[in-house]
Amino acid sequence: MHEASIAESLIELAEKHLREGNHSAVSSVTVRIGRLSGVMPDALLFAFEALKGGTPLEGATLLIDVIPQGGMCKGCEKEFSFDGPYISECPLCGGAEFSVTRGRELEMTEMEVA
Amino acid sequence: MNIKVVSRILEANDRLAEDNRKIFRDSNVYVINLMSAPGAGKTTLLERTVSGLSGKKKIGVIEGDIATDSDAQRIAALGVPVVQINTGGACHLDANMIREALSGLPLKDMELLFIENVGNLVCPAEFDIGENEKVMILSVTEGDDKPLKYPLMFERASALVINKIDLLPFVDASVQKIREDSLRLNPGMRIFEASAKTGSGLQPWFEWLNQKGK
Repeated sequence: MHEASIAESLIELAEKHLREGNHSAVSSVTVRIGRLSGVMPDALLFAFEALKGGTPLEGATLLIDVIPQGGMCKGCEKEFSFDGPYISECPLCGGAEFSVTRGRELEMTEMEVA
Repeated sequence: MNIKVVSRILEANDRLAEDNRKIFRDSNVYVINLMSAPGAGKTTLLERTVSGLSGKKKIGVIEGDIATDSDAQRIAALGVPVVQINTGGACHLDANMIREALSGLPLKDMELLFIENVGNLVCPAEFDIGENEKVMILSVTEGDDKPLKYPLMFERASALVINKIDLLPFVDASVQKIREDSLRLNPGMRIFEASAKTGSGLQPWFEWLNQKGK
């Protein structure tokens, strides 16, 4: 449900970048949403479509890059991917010291403007 | 033309949250963002906490609900400053709502501010409101599968109060499983077991809070 607030923030953020760059129209906005971010891409898309009317983003398409979960192990020093909400050990070497490096993204990355 | 604009989607909220944090720091107020599902016992725990820290900490409360001021009335009856925010449908509090509520609170006369978020195990975790710590409540009646089903909030909270332990004989929840799964998601999490209704188990919680801001 908080996707509506996130879509609202995204539209405001895009408007700010449009103003700062003196752009008049925008045809697409691209965001990166990590699978661990708690945001559902479909719900964000729905909210964006519902809220963009009457804003400079009225004609814009929202493009969502879904970022899968990933981590970096301190033991074997390799990068790995994983599914699900959490892991308790490195899936490659079983080590307990690792950091989650991908999957928490909630950011705007680019816009196609005129 | 393609322009790169890498920025956090919630940057406007995060900026306001930093402003709030500065206001709290300048007023020497320690802030706890209290989150849980609806009915987990946030307001009852706050009532107990206001009494338990009476004479030790000067407390203030911001109540967040979609509608009604019944929670604020319960807190006001205890004689501490309280402001009710009605989100009018929004499923969480954001930094701007807190900023507006601050004008109604005597920050200079407070040491500990509790912000009771809207009852919801998902959305409030995403929004920084300028707190020092996020604390969550899980009541045993909700079931012991909740940490793994709603991992984000468990990852972000620094402490967990397992509430309604007086009801354990009547439910199938395992406190051991809640503990293990919570610590798997968040190894540094401080965990309390209590009943806000009967008051049992609350002493460690009071002592933990009493150290805050010192």
